[in-house]
Amino acid sequence: MDTKIKIKEVLSSLLKVKIEELKDGSTLIDSIGVDSTEMVESVIALEKSFGVKLSPKEITKNSTINDIVNNIQSKLNK
Amino acid sequence: MNKIAITGIGVVSPSGIGKRQFWANIKSGRSFIKKITRFDASLYPAHIAGQIDDLEKYSHISERLLKKIDAFSHMALVAAELALQDAGIDIKNEDPNLVGIFLGNAIGGWLYAETELRDLYLEGRQGVSPYMASAWFPAAPQGQVSIYYGIKGFSKTVVSDRASSLMALGYARKVLAKNKLNMILAGGMEAPVTPYALLCCNTYGALSKNNDHPAAAYRPFDQERSGFVIGEGAGIVVMESIQRARGRGANILGLISGYGTSCDGVNRINCASDGKELARAINMALADAQVAAEEIGYISLDGLAVELWDNSEIKALELVFGENLKKIPVSCPKSMFGNLLGASGVLDMIIALLTMEHSLVPPILNLEKPALNSLNYVAKESREYKVSKSLIISRGRGGINSVLVVEKL
Repeated sequence: MDTKIKIKEVLSSLLKVKIEELKDGSTLIDSIGVDSTEMVESVIALEKSFGVKLSPKEITKNSTINDIVNNIQSKLNK
Repeated sequence: MNKIAITGIGVVSPSGIGKRQFWANIKSGRSFIKKITRFDASLYPAHIAGQIDDLEKYSHISERLLKKIDAFSHMALVAAELALQDAGIDIKNEDPNLVGIFLGNAIGGWLYAETELRDLYLEGRQGVSPYMASAWFPAAPQGQVSIYYGIKGFSKTVVSDRASSLMALGYARKVLAKNKLNMILAGGMEAPVTPYALLCCNTYGALSKNNDHPAAAYRPFDQERSGFVIGEGAGIVVMESIQRARGRGANILGLISGYGTSCDGVNRINCASDGKELARAINMALADAQVAAEEIGYISLDGLAVELWDNSEIKALELVFGENLKKIPVSCPKSMFGNLLGASGVLDMIIALLTMEHSLVPPILNLEKPALNSLNYVAKESREYKVSKSLIISRGRGGINSVLVVEKL
């Protein structure tokens, strides 16, 4: 599955937001008003889904979906 | 001290959600005590309760928020919404710094807590929801309601066992009487119908084990009493000064005019048998309200359905009311839907307000042969009485006494 689609599905299902709300170029804080606890949950869920190690500094409230895709994709490619 | 107006009622209970449905069931004397169906509780010594099964129908809370909160916060959010609607208040038009929340709770949000603790031991620390820390503790509903409505004024959560919510109302009145805030959402919530919370309630040793006859199990003051039955729910009211309520043309449902509290201080679990400290709290509330004992037209009893507690409550009333006691109608309507522990007092107060509004005292269920005959019990069915002043008694483990006087405008 396309990494971007999978990331959106994980976040949508976890945070109970619509997939359309997760806009590619918007930060998570701007698009869905994510809070710090939701970020902790999101990082853990993405780690589990993709089998990669992510630090909370790499993916933050100010990350866009595109940023997250690039980060995870680069780890998957290694 | 100033009397404070109540202008909105929000109730979430096994006997109904919203005050119309609630009162319709209360005045009819219907029991809502049933076998617990939420989980398999059949091996618990007591496995009956007053449950709420359809909260979602009344809720506008998003799924995104619901996954972060326990049921007791959910109940508080619904009760707060109903109270604000009833009061005709759009909180967006209020100064958020001058709105407060005072809630009572006894045990916290255990459905959330026990689920996450199970996951901690099964899956390790990564299996625990990051919302656990903010979901289970007794002040969580205060926090969630304040976030939901943007409330920023002085607020408090009272944890004082079953006396919690009546104490929260007394505290809220004190703060409003000092003109520190414009309005307060006050009351309490409790969600004890969970596997672990039910276990804790069972170890208290005072629950009725009459599981085969749920509707007949909770029988305060009756010779055949066997202990109380738990229930879940929330009650929240809108409180504001009489002047402000009149100024905005609000419907004043009643006034909180007096509050008293004391501790028996004799035992970790039990109350004192002599009722003296409870009598002192009642006198304190009457003096605070500047109401004479003979003016009281309805007494809402705590009614734990445990001999020591019931008898000491009667002793306290005899000490205060003397010969006049036989004339005052008394009831314990929680026998219909269960003892909501930390939220029991506010539901009793809501019923007292509705009693005064409708001139109808609802019954104590299952009181067939009173163990002591010194009270004017309203049993079996509602009875008409014109009541202008009511006294509400709420007591917690170890003999925490709280008493409120409410009256008609």
